[in-house]
Amino acid sequence: MANIEEQELKDRLTLIESMIAEGRRTTESWGWVFVLWGVAYYIAIAWANWGRPSLAWPVTMIVASVLTGVLASLNASRQPGTTVGRALMAIWIAMGVTTFCLMLSLGITHRLDSHISVAVVGAMLGTANAASSIILKWKMQFVCAVVWWTTMVAALFTSENLTAIIFLTAIFLCQIVFGIYGMVCESRRNRASEARQGASHA
Amino acid sequence: MPELPELNPVIHGKLRLALLSLLSGVEEAEFTWLRAKTGSTDGNLGAQLLKLEEAGYLTVEKKFVQRKPQTLYRMTETGRQALTAYVQALKQLLGAAIEN
Repeated sequence: MANIEEQELKDRLTLIESMIAEGRRTTESWGWVFVLWGVAYYIAIAWANWGRPSLAWPVTMIVASVLTGVLASLNASRQPGTTVGRALMAIWIAMGVTTFCLMLSLGITHRLDSHISVAVVGAMLGTANAASSIILKWKMQFVCAVVWWTTMVAALFTSENLTAIIFLTAIFLCQIVFGIYGMVCESRRNRASEARQGASHA
Repeated sequence: MPELPELNPVIHGKLRLALLSLLSGVEEAEFTWLRAKTGSTDGNLGAQLLKLEEAGYLTVEKKFVQRKPQTLYRMTETGRQALTAYVQALKQLLGAAIEN
């Protein structure tokens, strides 16, 4: 076989490898969702403390869910569907629905106090973050899972004031800081992807 | 001496090969995403996608999302098998070339 033909076949193999990798490389952006929900938790806490506690959490959570759904569908329509993307979405939707139904039922039946509510949120977010981090092999997200699990345990063993402080700190670290960190990572990854595409089209 | 395999001519085209490889990594993809990833023109991309569709290697679904037309492409099982067979044939040919 001529060298030129052999090189062409090797180029074909390289093309297959690079295109498969490009297809799997997700450009989905989810950092903003963490920040949005972090802000939503803070609004709900502030509203519950200084306004109407019975309305604060359900209304804020429903508004945040609708906002997430609308913004995510606008973003998702431009991206290809991947199995990993669907697996992650399944985890977070299941976690969200479970938490909402459980908290609402506990609230209506007057079984909810600050210790239980923080423990439930900590358990749910710890589980979802852990599952996501294992799928994505993302150590930083697993750190968030550990922080939420610690919050869950601490909420059941500490005073009400300390539980509140731990919860506010966990929201800040695992939603706001982690969300911004995720957005920075996504922006870097997208820039690198654009540079690669520019080089391959040149 | 074993007979060397023939490469599937439908897949061997560079753009068609790139499209099948891209679709093998995702569940479904939009026309615009495929165009961005391959850097191809609308006309050429449409023609190559049609050839792959006619060969039964992918399916197409046209729908409207928020009043905008959307064309989604999915790789079929036949397409996946054809790509696997193509890669195996390519490796076999390259192996024979290295031995020679």
